This record gives sequence, structure tokens and C-alpha cells, in this order.
Amino acid sequence: MRIGPRLWLDRLFTALSLMAVLMIVVALIAILLPMLWRGSSAVVFRGTVEFRRMQLEQHGRGDSDDVRAEVEQAARIRQGAYDLLEQFAIVVDPSGMEKRARQIHREFGKQLEHRGVPEDQAAELQSLSKRLRGELLAAFEATEGPEALTHVQTVLAHAGDMRLAGTVAAQYFELAGRYKNALANVDLGRRAEYGVLFRQVQEALRDLLGPPPGSPLPAIIKDQYGATRWDQATRHMERLLWVEKWLPSRPGELLQKVRVPMEQEFRGTVLTKLFPYVREHVGDMLQPRWTCYWQFFFDDSMSSHYFGGVGPEILGTVLVTALAIAFALPVGVATAAYLVECAGDTRPTRVLRTCVNTLAGVPSIVFGLFGLAFFVIYLLPKLGLREGSSILAGASTLALLVLPVIIRASEEAIRTVPRAYKEAALALGASRFRCFVTVTLPAAMPGILTGLILSMSRAAGETAPILCTAAVAMGPVPTSLMQPTRTLSYSSYDMAVGDKMAMLAPHNQFGMVMTLVAIVLLLNIVAIVIRGRISRKLRGQ
Amino acid sequence: MRKMWQVTMWAVLASMLNGMPGLADVTAGNTNLQIEGSTTVGPIADEFVEAFKRIHPQVSITVKKTGSGDGAAALIDGRCQIATMSRFMKSEEFQKAVAKGVTPVAHAIAMDGVCVIVHPSNPIKALKIEQVKDLYTGKVTNWKELGGADMPVVVISRDTSSGTYETFSHFVMGKSRMFEKVEYVNSNPQAYSRVTTTPGAVGYVGLGFVDEKVKALEINGVAPNRKTIQSGRYPLSRPLFLFTNGYPELGSMVHAFCTFYLSEKGQEIVEAKGFVPVTNY
Repeated sequence: MRIGPRLWLDRLFTALSLMAVLMIVVALIAILLPMLWRGSSAVVFRGTVEFRRMQLEQHGRGDSDDVRAEVEQAARIRQGAYDLLEQFAIVVDPSGMEKRARQIHREFGKQLEHRGVPEDQAAELQSLSKRLRGELLAAFEATEGPEALTHVQTVLAHAGDMRLAGTVAAQYFELAGRYKNALANVDLGRRAEYGVLFRQVQEALRDLLGPPPGSPLPAIIKDQYGATRWDQATRHMERLLWVEKWLPSRPGELLQKVRVPMEQEFRGTVLTKLFPYVREHVGDMLQPRWTCYWQFFFDDSMSSHYFGGVGPEILGTVLVTALAIAFALPVGVATAAYLVECAGDTRPTRVLRTCVNTLAGVPSIVFGLFGLAFFVIYLLPKLGLREGSSILAGASTLALLVLPVIIRASEEAIRTVPRAYKEAALALGASRFRCFVTVTLPAAMPGILTGLILSMSRAAGETAPILCTAAVAMGPVPTSLMQPTRTLSYSSYDMAVGDKMAMLAPHNQFGMVMTLVAIVLLLNIVAIVIRGRISRKLRGQ
Repeated sequence: MRKMWQVTMWAVLASMLNGMPGLADVTAGNTNLQIEGSTTVGPIADEFVEAFKRIHPQVSITVKKTGSGDGAAALIDGRCQIATMSRFMKSEEFQKAVAKGVTPVAHAIAMDGVCVIVHPSNPIKALKIEQVKDLYTGKVTNWKELGGADMPVVVISRDTSSGTYETFSHFVMGKSRMFEKVEYVNSNPQAYSRVTTTPGAVGYVGLGFVDEKVKALEINGVAPNRKTIQSGRYPLSRPLFLFTNGYPELGSMVHAFCTFYLSEKGQEIVEAKGFVPVTNY
């Protein structure tokens, strides 16, 4: 071949290799960076006053006086919004007032009895009370504004009645007054129409600011706080300020999405004031501040990963992985040593080698099912240990999974140690065992470590083998190796399929995945540094 | 020195293996509770456990969510005390259980509706149950045929091992089978997100997953909501179960857990999780 085309081919090859490397780098950046970036939002974000309140109440973190003061300050500004909401709620949903009116009538009857009012007078007052109550209920039920107003005015006409002054019945007039004020601002005819949208407003405001003051404490922790993060708050604001409607364009065609400001839907009512108020004051209501939630890596999760961190998951992952490696590494290296040093190249060893290679290709779920059948159901109970999934069973299964990789890598590493090393050691009178331990093994260490890195990363990320043997979605922090544990890989899966949590708290899902990637990365870096040191030492530098 | 270190290491390892909780399990009886089963009921169990931990801090409870069928198998094998299931136990499972000396007892802890959902841009609002069946058997392949827009139907179903699938196929499919173009997804969130991104899609999810981004259809003229599901008027209503081996011993932790849904707090949790409580508390 002439020199010209050869040079040209050489350059082409170099360019292609460079491109391949570049593509790998780009792919790494395109996959890893967004994941790490979005995951970091679980740790560093703009936390609101709700977040600080949660930290104080659930973990006792932060200065309690400071947080209280902040909460109170925010509550004062929020009250403005709640007042507007309340005025509107009276008309749209008067069931609370209905209940109150009935209660007043009952209490009034008791009061009359208690005060010893003469019987005929008491009967007269009671029938008056009943009439007033009836009028009020009719006003609440009315669907026309003027009709409701006449009922309210009939009640208010009795306001001057001295016999009722100072009794419970006087509260009728207060109710009537409140309802009258509210009526001035709302069109009763659209009550049903308002109902659905108003519920959306109420819900969005609840999600934004937490349960309104005076309401009972919600049953699950997730609902006890408003938006703890500013990015969450902006999502809730969107739901509060805008309503998505799907309107028909032409018959037989798809509906078109229209975004209408919520304010427009409540035109002419007192509620229109709510939206500009919230928009203007949302910063003061929530007081966002940049927060570094480093406890994410240590905290237990709350409300199925809606709040809290991934502490138990990290512990579980590290425990299971470390234990699996501790089981697999000695066995793997010993097997490799046997295969290279003692077994020779006979038919049985070739079959054995093929078996190891095949084992490396077996799908991980098969290992999982084997682990379930062998370790969980058969071996561990037989040894007198607790039945059921446990860290020990999971680690043993993972050890089997990574064993072939370790064997293969170690075998190659041991094989490539120069014969001269061994011959020198043997010539000096070392036994074969001593020669292997002091000369061959240290020289093969970098290659063995490479196998270790690969298998460690694989063990940390595998889900299927621990699904049936070690992992649970929810459970206490393990205190012994015989207990099951949560792990990062399984919990990521659980978060994605089980609940709505991945939708409601995507930052926590990303945070969990980021942690898993970071752990694998960290393990790799440590192993690579150690490998580098050993190889330098081997080269005598 | 080196020897001492070795001895310590072995001692630590031994103590971890046979550590205190291992022994405590045996001595203190029921302080260790294992729950396994449905991905639909799992979230309720999670929150129950969280609330339960505050009342009984000494109990350690683990929850696993892999599917109703796995829950039944684990209960039969004795690998868990409580199986969460989004469907009733099948008669084959009962037979297997009885053969192994396990008597499954059901506790219905909540109600759920399987809601048929479409993209909000779809003009269809209501369907008859037979029409839904036609969609899933491939008899209807364009929304036009049901009076909607001219748009091919993309049919989404849950995987065949899920309890939600069982419920749907029991109520809707009857004896007929889904046609080969049906797309199977593994979980409720997947079905939900597939429908939110595909204008021609139809799928089914639990009531808790219905929000303004998808449209739940009226089935036989009944819209799915708390009232219609609780009364059973919505045709695809189903109870969610906890299964135990025999009725749990009174006063035991299993009993306390299985009756937790009767408390006000339990009912509130069920509702907060997007399901329908069995009673009006």
C-alpha cells in the first residue's frame, strides 16, 4: 500500500475514535448532568416558611422563636385572603350557617328552661325563635337574591325585640347580618356553577398555605403543611389563578384548551379581590429563602417520600452492597486463582469456565427468584435464623450475581502477571501459596479492583435480586442483618409505580436517583484512586 | 494486637447476625409485622404504618408492594401476616391456602372505583359499559364510531397481574379477551401519564389518580365519585382488602392494624389518599 492512502486511513481512524470518545462524553453529560441537576433540587431549593415550620415541628430543627415569629407574620398576611374566602364561602356553601341556626334554636330552648321563664311566655318565645330560624334557613336555601334578601330582612325586623336581647337568640341577627353583607357581593343564581370552581380555589389555597386556621389537623403529615418549596408554590399558584377549560370548536372535533383567569370566572363577586391579593402577597405569605436541606441524606421519609430524606435507603444500599462484596470477593478471587494456577487447561475446567460465563449472562430476576427459594425459604430458616426477607439473604443473592464478574476479572488479572515474577519468587524458595499471596496477587490487584468496581456498581443498582430477598417499600431502619431494609433502587421503583408521589414530589424522586448515582460514582472514584496508587507502587514510583 | 482486632471483628459480626432484634422477635411474639401485596392498597398501608408507629412505637412493620397475587402467595407461604389485595382472593388461592393450613379472612378497608379515563380534549363524556368493552376488544377503533372526533383509539390497559386489571376485566370484559393492539402498562401512574399525553387514548386508573388533566367518563350514566362508589352505583366499584390468616387474635398487633381503618383517623387517611372510606365517619 502506498504511503498516501495509509496516512489518510490513519487519520480517518483517529478522527473516528475521537468522535466515539466525544459521543460517550456527550452522552454522559446529557444523561448524568440533568439527573444530578434535578436531583440537587431535593437538597438545595427555596424553602418557604412552611418548610421551616415542618422542620421545627417534625424534627425540632431551627430556632423556635424565630420560626414562630415568621409563622405569625405570615399568618397575619394570610388572614386577608382567608377573610375574602370566608365571605364568599358563606353564600356558596351555607351549610355551616344552617347548622349554627339549628343549634341556636336548640340552645335557646334550653336557656329558657334554665332561666325559669313562665311557661306561656316561653312557648311564645320559642315559636318566635322557630319562625326566625325558619326564615334564616329559607334565606340560605333561596336561589334568587331578592327572595333571600326579603327573608333576611324579616329576621332583622325583630332585631329590636327586647325579649331576645342578651339571649342566644340574638345571634340570629348576627348570622342574618353576615349573610346580608355577603349577598350584596354574590349572585345567588350562579351558586351551583361557582361550587365546582370554588372548590378548586379552596383546594389550591389549601395546598399553597396549608390547612386554614381553625380547621382540624389533617390525618396525614403531607396535608398538615402548605407548599414547603417555592417551585411547588408556583405550581399551586398556577392552579389558583388560572382555570383550564376545554371548549368545543366545531362538532365532531377535538376540544380546544382555553386558559381563563380564575378572576374572570368570579367576576362581580367579592372573590375577585382574592386573586390580586394572593398574587401580590404570596411572597410575604410564604417567605421563600434559599435553603440547603443537607439532612436529606440522613432523614427518614414521611408520608411516602413526600417529605423527608433517604437516610434509611442509603444505609440499606451501602449495607447490602458492602456485604455482597464481602461475600463475593474472597470466593471469587480464590476461584480465579484455582482456575489459573492449579486447574490447568483440562476439559472440566473449560466446562467450569463456560458455566461461569453463562452465569454472568443470567438475568438478574432469575437470581432474585433463586434467592427467594434458596436463601429466604430454605437455607436461612434451616440455619435457625428468622424466615422472611433480610439483608443477609439479599446480600447473598447479590454476591452470587456479581461472582462471575469478579471471577472473570480476577482470572484475567492473575493470568497477565508476568511469568518472570512468579519464577523469581519460586527460585528464591517460596512455596506456591506464598508466591501467589505475596507476588501474584499484589501484581494482579489493579485488575481485580476493576472487577470489583464493576460488580459494586452493579450490586448497588440492582433491583430485581433484592425485590424478593431483602427490600421493602416501608419499614424501620434495620438494626440487624436479619431484617429487611429499604434500598435506593427499590424505593425509586416503588415511588414511580405505587402512588402519586412521583407526580406530587418529583424533586424527591430525582433526589433519590441522584443519591444512587452519586454513591456509585463515589464508590468508583475511591476504587479508581486505590487502583491508581497500587499500580504506581507496582511500577516502583 | 492484631489478634484482638480479629476477635472483636468476629464478635461484632456474630452480634449483628444473631443480634437483639433477631432474638426479640421470638421472645416478644408479634412486635414484627410484615405486610405484602397490592400496589394500589400499599400507599394506604404506608400511611397506616406511619400513624401506627406513633401509637405503638415498639412495633416494627414492613410493607412490600409487588402486586395482589404476590400478597396472596406470601400469606399462603407464611411470609407475611397481612396481605394487601385490591381484589378478592381467587378460589384457587383459597384452595392452596387451605391445603397449607391457612384460612384467609378478608377485611375490606376502603372502596375504590376503577375510572375509565380519556384525554380532556376528547369530546366523549359518557359511555355504556358495552361501548368500553368494544374499545378493548377492538370492535371500535375510531372515536368517530362512538360519536366523537375522527381520531384512532389508543387503548391502554394495566398488566394482567394487577388487581385493577382483574376488576376491570371482571366488570367490563366478562369472558371476552382484549385485542392484540392493547398497550399494557405496569402501574397507575404510567397509565395516567400515557393518557395525559395522548389525545386518542383511553385507559383506566383508580379514583385517586383522576384530576383535571384527565377526564373520567360516566359509565352507564353514573360519574365516579365518593357517593356513587360508596353506594356501589358506579358500576366499576370495588372494595380493597387486607387478608389475614384466620381472624386475628383479639388484642394482637395484627388485630389492631386490621381494625385501624375503623377509627376516625384511619378513615381520614383512606380519604386523604384518594380512596373512599367504607363508612361515613
